[in-house]
Amino acid sequence: MRSQPKMQNIVLDGLWGNNPIFRQILGICSALAVTNLVLNTMVMGIAVIFTTALSSLTVSALRRWTPRVIRMMIETLIIAFYVILFDQALKAYWPDMSRNLGPYVGLIITNCIIMGRAEAFANANPPGLSFIDGFFSGAGYACVLLVVSIVRELLGMGSILGIPMPFFSSALWDRWIIMVMPPGAFFTLAVICWIFRSVQAAKETQVPGGKK
Amino acid sequence: MTLSSHMIHLMVILFASIFTDNILLARFLGMCSFLAVSRQVKTAVGLGLAVVFVMTCTVALDWLAYRYILQPYQIEYFRFILFIVIIAAFVQFIEMVIERYSPVLYQNLGIFLPLITVNCAILGASLFMVIREYTLLEGIFFGLGSGIGWMLAIVAMAGIREKLTHARIPKGLQGPGITLIIAGLMALAFIGFTGVLSGG
Amino acid sequence: MSMREKNWFPILYMFITTLLLSAVVIAFGTITRQRVKDNERIAFERAVLEALPIDLSGRTSPSEIHITYRENITEPTKSTAGALGYRKNDSLIAYALPIDGPGFWAPIRGVIGIAADKQTITGISFYDQNETPGLGGEIVKSEFRDQFVGKRLADEGTSLEIRMVSVELDESSVHAITGATQTSTRLNKFLDKRLSAWRDAMKEIE
Repeated sequence: MRSQPKMQNIVLDGLWGNNPIFRQILGICSALAVTNLVLNTMVMGIAVIFTTALSSLTVSALRRWTPRVIRMMIETLIIAFYVILFDQALKAYWPDMSRNLGPYVGLIITNCIIMGRAEAFANANPPGLSFIDGFFSGAGYACVLLVVSIVRELLGMGSILGIPMPFFSSALWDRWIIMVMPPGAFFTLAVICWIFRSVQAAKETQVPGGKK
Repeated sequence: MTLSSHMIHLMVILFASIFTDNILLARFLGMCSFLAVSRQVKTAVGLGLAVVFVMTCTVALDWLAYRYILQPYQIEYFRFILFIVIIAAFVQFIEMVIERYSPVLYQNLGIFLPLITVNCAILGASLFMVIREYTLLEGIFFGLGSGIGWMLAIVAMAGIREKLTHARIPKGLQGPGITLIIAGLMALAFIGFTGVLSGG
Repeated sequence: MSMREKNWFPILYMFITTLLLSAVVIAFGTITRQRVKDNERIAFERAVLEALPIDLSGRTSPSEIHITYRENITEPTKSTAGALGYRKNDSLIAYALPIDGPGFWAPIRGVIGIAADKQTITGISFYDQNETPGLGGEIVKSEFRDQFVGKRLADEGTSLEIRMVSVELDESSVHAITGATQTSTRLNKFLDKRLSAWRDAMKEIE
């Protein structure tokens, strides 16, 4: 068995070095659509963190008993289980938000990141570490979406979390309506990816033979 | 509703889901395979056709399951898992049928089928169908339109990316970055259809 | 661990896992079912109050909505032709008529308020719609809804009209949402149908 990964590395990898969105552009479908408002994105981010962390925990806890042939099915089942709980809770306790997010909470099931973490990490590591790994992979993902949503809401509506921002809500700023429409999401994510990759590339040339 | 106005209604759903409310460019569904499998037009067409077929059929199957299994027992929240199971089972079944009866089709289309189970656009179409309270017929037209819309987007993207292989793109923007920017431009263009159809 | 090598083990395992997880989901679903229903009810009650000339400022929590609704609103009777009544000290101030019909994507459900003169609109609100965000979805915004306040139902023909932005308005028409022709046309159709039917029914009652 390979040596156990260090806690600190897991956290940093999830948030930055191996951030699922930047590295692999994975799983953006289920969440990009709700990034036109910061509040919606925050709730969506919490949903993803909740699902990734707890499903990694559960997959890891069951890993010694789960038969190999049905592993993927069990993983899907566990992920769907947590998504259903979250969706139902939202419906019961925050109906307005549930209506805003529409089908996108349910679509977390098909988010490749969650299955990816379960397959790549939780299957081979103890529950505690898997939980941390899932939590920070989800958090890294949520952070990127949060940045996208802050840019979109600020430029498009002149506000953040519905609170008007100085300058951007004044007459000096001509609101970029396009930012809250679908194309804005693509452009914003593209620019953020561009920045991330350029920073990463600069780092890698600085430390030859450093991190992968 | 008279027959002809009903037909018009279905056509509006079909065209709106292809153009003004494109499932990929306006609803962001199916992005993973869109970014990964849009390098060549030929593969894009293959995957697109598979999506059109599977989406139309699974929306219909999911509609039946929702109406006759989930609703009577008031367990609508099971739709997520049930829809996934239906989609996976359907894809598996089609793969077997095609392999058995049409090796040519299997070679061209079969390889894309496993990719479809993880395509969130398929599940997304069924979830939208539930939220919008479609009838079976409306659902089928919506599934068909969404599938065609998805295919249109991925084929157009593949066409553009083929041309781009010789373009000089900033290093950090290569790969996903430039694909996202093109997708954004395409989404802009598709917004232009709004006026044509006056869909709201 | 010899049991794990038996070929029935995966099936049993799958079965037990599914059973356990489903049990939790069903339990949670049953616990929250009443709450989900209550939420839908409150959404309707809120829409009724918003369509009427009632000042809701500061009283927008679900329980406050429910109390205000119970104190002021009476259920439909024969004399109101299906509309709810808004009463104060036993005198009727306004009617609240539930409206619903096909939107562009999904059914639209809402409430329109009409003053005691059976002509003046006091407001309109929607509690269920799935129109395109930014286009048809704008019907829930106050920019669109506020136009209705003070309009009058026409005595004959189309009771209330939603017109293209380029067409001038009279006292029984409002402007549509730019770019959302489909939503506006459909809303116009079922709104007029419901209002005309109500107007005629009320005339008969008189």
